[in-house]
Amino acid sequence: MMRSLLRRVSKLSNLPIRVGERIGLFDHIPAGLADGAPAPKHTFRWDLDKTYLRTEFDSFVDLAKSAIETAADKQAYPGATALLRALRQDGNRICIVSGSPTQMRQVLATKLRLDGVEYDEFVLKNNLKNILRGRFRALRAQIPYKLPAMLQSRIGAPAPFETLFGDDAEADAIIYCLYADLLSERVSLQDLERVLVASRAYDDDANRILDLAARVPKGETVRRLFIHLDRRSPSLGFRRFGPRLVPVFNYFQAALVLYEDKVLSARQVIFVALEMIDSGQYELGHLATSVQDVIRRGRLSRECALQLTTESTEAAKSGALSGRSDLPPFEEIAEAFRHRVRELGGTNPVPWEADEPLDYVRLVDEEHEHRRQRRRSGH
Amino acid sequence: MAAMHRIVVDAMGGDHAPDEIVQGAAEASLQLSSAEIILVGDATVLGRLLPRMRHDGARVRVHHAPTYVEMDEKPAEALAAKPEASIIVAADLVARGEGDALVSAGNTGASVLACARRWQLLEGVRRSALAAVYPTELRRGEKDDPFSLILDVGATIDATAEDLVGFAVMGSSYAKLVSSNRRPRVALLSNGTEPGKGPPSIIAAHAALVETTELNFIGNIEGLDIPRGVADVVVTSGFVGNVVLKMLEGVSETVVRLARYAHKERLAWRLGLVALSSAIDQLKSITDWQQYGGAPLLGFTHPFIKAHGRSNARAITNAVKVAHKALAGNLCGNIARTMAELDERSQRRPRAGTIPPAVGS
Repeated sequence: MMRSLLRRVSKLSNLPIRVGERIGLFDHIPAGLADGAPAPKHTFRWDLDKTYLRTEFDSFVDLAKSAIETAADKQAYPGATALLRALRQDGNRICIVSGSPTQMRQVLATKLRLDGVEYDEFVLKNNLKNILRGRFRALRAQIPYKLPAMLQSRIGAPAPFETLFGDDAEADAIIYCLYADLLSERVSLQDLERVLVASRAYDDDANRILDLAARVPKGETVRRLFIHLDRRSPSLGFRRFGPRLVPVFNYFQAALVLYEDKVLSARQVIFVALEMIDSGQYELGHLATSVQDVIRRGRLSRECALQLTTESTEAAKSGALSGRSDLPPFEEIAEAFRHRVRELGGTNPVPWEADEPLDYVRLVDEEHEHRRQRRRSGH
Repeated sequence: MAAMHRIVVDAMGGDHAPDEIVQGAAEASLQLSSAEIILVGDATVLGRLLPRMRHDGARVRVHHAPTYVEMDEKPAEALAAKPEASIIVAADLVARGEGDALVSAGNTGASVLACARRWQLLEGVRRSALAAVYPTELRRGEKDDPFSLILDVGATIDATAEDLVGFAVMGSSYAKLVSSNRRPRVALLSNGTEPGKGPPSIIAAHAALVETTELNFIGNIEGLDIPRGVADVVVTSGFVGNVVLKMLEGVSETVVRLARYAHKERLAWRLGLVALSSAIDQLKSITDWQQYGGAPLLGFTHPFIKAHGRSNARAITNAVKVAHKALAGNLCGNIARTMAELDERSQRRPRAGTIPPAVGS
């Protein structure tokens, strides 16, 4: 009501709405597709903190530091910027859903602009509204915030394929799998209702989510979910989410899997690798070891890794590495990668067992318990 | 970015291998940003273990080795029968330049033999020496290290005077680096403190060490001075060192057995032990060998850290850190440089001052 009134009043400018959104009085609702605009081919949904941005908020000091950091102070994970730029091409859609407060919008948007990352949607959490309404449970809640944001976004701009990126806080894996299973109708609205009760969603929020879930365009849409192992959590803990969810130690590994999924070209994978090397935090050896790691975990086939080295060599010959006199000849790089594959001998990764449906209520209960334990232990 | 050090770990060697070894190496990958850990062992087994543990997947890799040497196998026979055993493959990786240092908690004899057959000795070093650490009364270095270093404890059974001088140089370089001890006290183990006491090799080594300015040589010590911590580096032949080490271990075990006996025998003794328990716990934490990680095999062009056979994950993490420190501090380069300086001086010195011909070599 207030919103529509303001819209009418400010015919020439939407300044009051923007100010209201910035201070958290209004929710920022993504515009969706413009009239007549073609549907995106592929939507990539990204979390921001601990996924794109290196963020520490495990303690109050970290949280305060993160809040006062300027855009230039904020650090993206090596390779994440190159990957996001590569994914933005070819009519794809980039949607960012972050748990950071709306008051951070300007600094985060500036950071993305500084990095040259373009996006279509950018949703932040309106915690001021939660505080003003006395909804303190919602301050920490992840499912009642992220799930409707993603559903709303899909309703506004449905794509035939989606790929999701989150971090190794358990909530991301649960929310992303729940979202994927809702779209593929493996989770019914009744199941969802039970999950929302377990996640302690407020009644009106739960009703809104159920409404969105009923309206969202369905399909086997979510192809891949990436979990960035920011805390270096044991990757085995994510195996229960099935083969579509891939825990990655770095974005070169994500690029490798997307190459096998035919989402990225060899040339684009090279650019992700180069950005990681340029960060000074990775050497070629680390990248080669990263290849071996994803093969060992059964997330990339040896054949694909070898094909990538062949295609990358061709790409390098055609100029992908032009001006990079700091790197050894590409044949040498390719041989280092092949060597890591050979080091595994003839051994095979652990085979996947039958894909069993996930018990989301139990997962949510476990996640709450783990969070309580972490709070008690001060981590 | 700091220079990357590649540390090869024999993942199948040790009483608690591979689980504890992999766990320790995984933890080390999180603590050492300038290290790459190469786990050598059955890739299928290691591939199942690693995802259970927190680690950095860009800094831990696996190199397949289909077999391994059991802890109780005879070293030479086992190495001959198992050419693809993990310790051989690991030593080969280092020899080929694919790794910079080696860590193993496996069969000591097989580990030493595998390195000795594949690695080059440092220039100026005639024989390698296996060191061991022993907890003492005194603390040393910037880190208040309670451990003294004894070498050799078995790599070279019969050492000449020149070998003993080499051991002194190697032990001193290691103590300087690992215990952050600027001027470690080096002593020769003998049957008396007087320079003329002991077999000819000890007397000759004493004469040579007295002349050195590179080392803080404090003269001869007797066996009872080892647990007192009179010296930071105790130099002896492999045969004597091994006997001494086993005897010290035997004494420690006997003390523990006596305490257990006392605990069972009388209520008053039991109460006494309970009253002392916090002090005993503190002593245990000070002398906890797991914090040390392992002891080095010195004299080769690459560091080899031999971790205790009973090593758990913490001990392995620390052994990897010691290997990393040896690489970062250029331990082998320092030994080679000191050996070259000694060699140069001995060539300049009049013939009368040179080390007499080796005894028993």
